[in-house]
Amino acid sequence: MKPLGMAALLWLFGVGSGMVYVSKYKATPGETVEPSATWPAEVTLERRPGLPTLVMLAHPKCPCTRASIAELARLMERIRNRVNAKVVFLSTRGGAEFSRTDLWSSAARIPGVEVTSDPEGAVAGRFGAVTSGEVLVYDASGRLAFHGGITPARGHEGESAGRIRILDLIEGRTPDRADAPVFGCSLREPSPEGRK
Amino acid sequence: MTDETNASARIAARSDVVFAELRDRNYRATSRMFAVLMVLQWLFAIGIALVWSPYAWEGKVRTIHAHVYLAVLLGGGISSLPLLLTLLRPTDALTRHVVAVAQVFWSALLIHLSGGRIETHFHVFVSLAFLAFYRDYRILIPATLAVAGDHFVRGILWPESVYGITNPEWWRFFEHAFWVAFEDVILVFSCLRGVSEMRGIAARQAEAEEASRSESEKSLALAAALDDLRRSHEALTRSERLAAIGQLAASVGHELRNPLTAVRNAHGYIAKRLTADGKEDVRIRQFLDIMDREIRACGRIISDLLDFARDKPLEVRPCPLRALVDEVFELVPSRESVELVNGVPEDLPVPNIDKEQFRQVLVNLVQNGSEAFGDGKSGTVEVRAEGGGSSPWRIAVVDDGAGISPEALPKIFQPLFTTKLRGTGLGLAVVQGLVQKHGGAIDVSSQTGRGTTFTVELPAEPAVVAA
Repeated sequence: MKPLGMAALLWLFGVGSGMVYVSKYKATPGETVEPSATWPAEVTLERRPGLPTLVMLAHPKCPCTRASIAELARLMERIRNRVNAKVVFLSTRGGAEFSRTDLWSSAARIPGVEVTSDPEGAVAGRFGAVTSGEVLVYDASGRLAFHGGITPARGHEGESAGRIRILDLIEGRTPDRADAPVFGCSLREPSPEGRK
Repeated sequence: MTDETNASARIAARSDVVFAELRDRNYRATSRMFAVLMVLQWLFAIGIALVWSPYAWEGKVRTIHAHVYLAVLLGGGISSLPLLLTLLRPTDALTRHVVAVAQVFWSALLIHLSGGRIETHFHVFVSLAFLAFYRDYRILIPATLAVAGDHFVRGILWPESVYGITNPEWWRFFEHAFWVAFEDVILVFSCLRGVSEMRGIAARQAEAEEASRSESEKSLALAAALDDLRRSHEALTRSERLAAIGQLAASVGHELRNPLTAVRNAHGYIAKRLTADGKEDVRIRQFLDIMDREIRACGRIISDLLDFARDKPLEVRPCPLRALVDEVFELVPSRESVELVNGVPEDLPVPNIDKEQFRQVLVNLVQNGSEAFGDGKSGTVEVRAEGGGSSPWRIAVVDDGAGISPEALPKIFQPLFTTKLRGTGLGLAVVQGLVQKHGGAIDVSSQTGRGTTFTVELPAEPAVVAA
């Protein structure tokens, strides 16, 4: 084979491998832990009687969460009056600048969504959410009905298993599962030993 | 083969060449466009990554986002080979295929970097349209296969990234493939039409060039005919002038020769009687010498005039040139400072010439050469000859004298043109006339201060072997 043909094959293999890596990276969900099975008593977020509560824990600067907010907006168009929705943004103690980003503004513009800050991630910790974009749905009685993400991949908008399951749940159907992978930045600081 | 068939073959061959040139020019232009596009897409991808996803976060700790690395490294990798090939091998088929596959990779990477925005998917269709600029429908095949392969694999493993839904119908792959194929059909048609147009342009250009060539040939032929006509007209005018001069010369020569003969006889008688008386006056002897010299000069002038005017028929017979040159050297007045060299090879074949007339040719040329040296200056006049058999004869008279000025050189064969104080200006005209009577031609080359070479060329003829 001629040198240029060989170079083209090597290039194809190299770039093809890169594209496989990209696909794998985009499809790799963030870390999850077992969330609180009931509404945490210490959390002061207001619940509305008779309505399920949807809480999204979000990092205000996570690029992937932009897709989660967009998907939440689409979701809320369908279930606005049937759910009590809140987006809780990670923030620093005593300062709001960290959390007041374009994501905050986007979330605040979604009808039916209440946006609040979460200094040092205390609320997220109580819910057991560790990845930005994680959505928890508690039924009217305060039991966890769903937890997971509502995007199909990292930073990717579009229909996702999480969105379908939440819709099933809110619209009275039985979802096939009560969880979904979450794609987003970590809400927790890296440990001193380093965390992957 | 007829002229028309030849012209058709020339047009067809030229049309193919022009088409190849047009096609290569298009390949180069399109490759240049893609070279720029490869760089722009890379910069655009880096820009998207830096604006939309500059950092990844872990709590309040940030790191450079993977998108930035992907844009810089993977984007650079995607653009690298096509960029190199478009610059170094813009017309190669491999370049076009690599560019096609690279564009599909760019579509995929940009879709990833933009978060799967539906608008970014248009990059696929725009890329296919851009690829059609090459007017080579074959490169749509690898591009389409790459798109189809990507959709097929991701449709199975990660359908949301392709179809935007989690459980697409099984035929969704065909729906996507249909629209890509739909564009492909349009683009293939466009490519074929583009190639057809290029062929048409090439054919028209070839026909125009052939027509232009034909017109040019006609113009050249017309110019040559006009030139011939002009030369013929000049020759006719010159012939008429020469005929008039010839008649005049014959008349004057004839009229002068008889009185001059009488003067010469009278001079001879007077000179003899004065010597016989033994009472010689020195001054009378000097005057008699002057009269003798001038009478001889008049005799030569009259001979020249008559040689020029006479149209004596050729009497061609074998004549050894070397011996003829020796005779000529005997006839030419000798000058101590000028060496006459007979350079004619002894074994030279014998040409058929009119001995008397050709001797006149050589006498005039050798005498001219001998007179080319100023007083007291020495030099050589050499006669060389070659040819025989199937080769034409070339007889050259070469001197290393003063040479002829560039202004005088074109006129030296004209009758009555002379640069000598006592010349008639008929010697070289007589030479040219005699050479032309032999069916030959005479040429001259000269450099002022370096010498002159007269070359007589006679046509080849069966020669007699030298004795």
